[in-house]
Amino acid sequence: MNFRDRMLDEYKEILKTYIHDQTEQALYMSQKFSRKSIEYKISPEEMISLHKTSIMDLEPDLPESLLLSLDILLEVMMSYGLAYREHQSLRTIQRELINEIEVAASMQQTLLGTQIPRISSLDIGAISVPAKQMSGDYYHFVSHENGAISVAIADIIGKGIPAALCMSMIKYSMDSMPDDSQNPGDVLERLNRVVEQNVDPTMFITMFSGLYHPDNHTFYYSSAGHEPGFFYHAETGTFEELQAKGLLLGVDKKAKYNEYERKVEVGDVILLMSDGVTECRTEEGFLEVDTLIAYIKKYIHLSAQDIADKVYKELEYLQDFQLRDDFTLIILKRTA
Amino acid sequence: MMDSSVKIINEWDIVAARQLGRNVAKELGFGTVDQARITTAISELARNIYLYAGQGEIMIEKVESGTKKGMTIISRDEGPGIPDLRKVMEDGFSTSGGLGAGLPGVKRLMDEFSIESTPGKGTFIQSVKWLR
Amino acid sequence: MNISIDVKELDQQTTMTLAGEIDAYTAPQLRETAFPYTEKKQASVVIDLSGVTYMDSTGLGVFVGLFKSLNANDGTLKLVGLSDRLKRLFDITGLADIMNINSEAEGGV
Repeated sequence: MNFRDRMLDEYKEILKTYIHDQTEQALYMSQKFSRKSIEYKISPEEMISLHKTSIMDLEPDLPESLLLSLDILLEVMMSYGLAYREHQSLRTIQRELINEIEVAASMQQTLLGTQIPRISSLDIGAISVPAKQMSGDYYHFVSHENGAISVAIADIIGKGIPAALCMSMIKYSMDSMPDDSQNPGDVLERLNRVVEQNVDPTMFITMFSGLYHPDNHTFYYSSAGHEPGFFYHAETGTFEELQAKGLLLGVDKKAKYNEYERKVEVGDVILLMSDGVTECRTEEGFLEVDTLIAYIKKYIHLSAQDIADKVYKELEYLQDFQLRDDFTLIILKRTA
Repeated sequence: MMDSSVKIINEWDIVAARQLGRNVAKELGFGTVDQARITTAISELARNIYLYAGQGEIMIEKVESGTKKGMTIISRDEGPGIPDLRKVMEDGFSTSGGLGAGLPGVKRLMDEFSIESTPGKGTFIQSVKWLR
Repeated sequence: MNISIDVKELDQQTTMTLAGEIDAYTAPQLRETAFPYTEKKQASVVIDLSGVTYMDSTGLGVFVGLFKSLNANDGTLKLVGLSDRLKRLFDITGLADIMNINSEAEGGV
């Protein structure tokens, strides 16, 4: 007995039971049958034909008009059948796309990976969590030959795959920068020209660029429209915004970036972040700066990586574990 | 071997093409479901001619290959042609505007499908359904 | 979340009143609605943001795009009715220095 005959027999049996005594049992059997027929890719028009064959067999005296009406039903079901098959094939395509995005996301992680530098006087921690699969946040460290450390944190405006592509470009222009151009202002001016020339005009980047010199324990920094970081004074136990003015990258190719500097004492902490941190939204509204600072203060005595991890955990909890924006937090703590 | 053809000029010619296809399908012994598939495919092809090319022709032929028997549907027009074949063969492209099953639908309904189109010259589509 | 965009045209001036949230979901709608008005020669576009409750960096990107498009066509863009939070966003990004931004609503004090 072939597959179609088996299905036909099964269907006929259900039909017969139901015609005989209209039980819920028979209706339940037909539900199970429909699941099976979908699994075996039986189309709606085939179902009608199956039905017609069954009923003609069971009730040979049915009026001709009723049987003819099934021809119309079959014709009408043709388009449903086609739509259903198209839907199936689109679902396959969708699954392929999701797989590709997953591969791309893990490639992005590898491509954009950056090593957290180790130097004796500075404890560095970083956390970056994407809201969706592909992150629009980016951070980068460079250890220079003279012992200085460069740090950059960027937010690509526009999310997902286009942002990720743009980020790779930023990463390669930063990697190909000569070791002697370490000044944060120069770095931003150079990148601004790259972005202005090469990136889609509706795509912009905010970036905070910093340089830590272990010789004089000074932090030099510039900002291209990026969320200001915080500076923690260990002596007074107070926080201060790391104010820096500068235009977004990619708006004006002649933009200039001022450089600021700050002396860092033992125990002082520099916190750099993306707007996913400050624009964090909770049930009650936006996270206030004071609340954020309170969280940071609670953990400021910990190691740099622990501060970053704990603050993230707190904010994640506040937002019910649903990140609306990419989240990146970098901590630099002078230990000696 | 040329069995028969229908010129497609107005919407009623679509019905004539369907009728011709159904007669041949019945004659060859296709079941009701396959008959419906073949006529739906003819409908789609004829509608494309009527809507986009203005006029053209649907030809129906019986075919034999070894022990297999079947029928061929040929759609031919001298309309504007299709500039991007890959696009029209994509699922979701023609259906999104409520234009019906489109060419991917025809391909699904039939066993074999081939298309040639030259922008400015016209379109030639050949499809085969085999009797099982 | 949603955005409402109300457009009034008078001579050369277009006034757009926005209300709701501007984020990755609503930004494309805003861009599509607003862009055509920036492509006319010497257009003057005023956008009232006093009804905007939330804007993220994607929204900011739309305004930069509109600003660039107007500049290219010798037009002008003015943003009015910015809340403190929005004002801060334009300040931080340096856009407040190159764009015409006013916390008061148009016609206000």
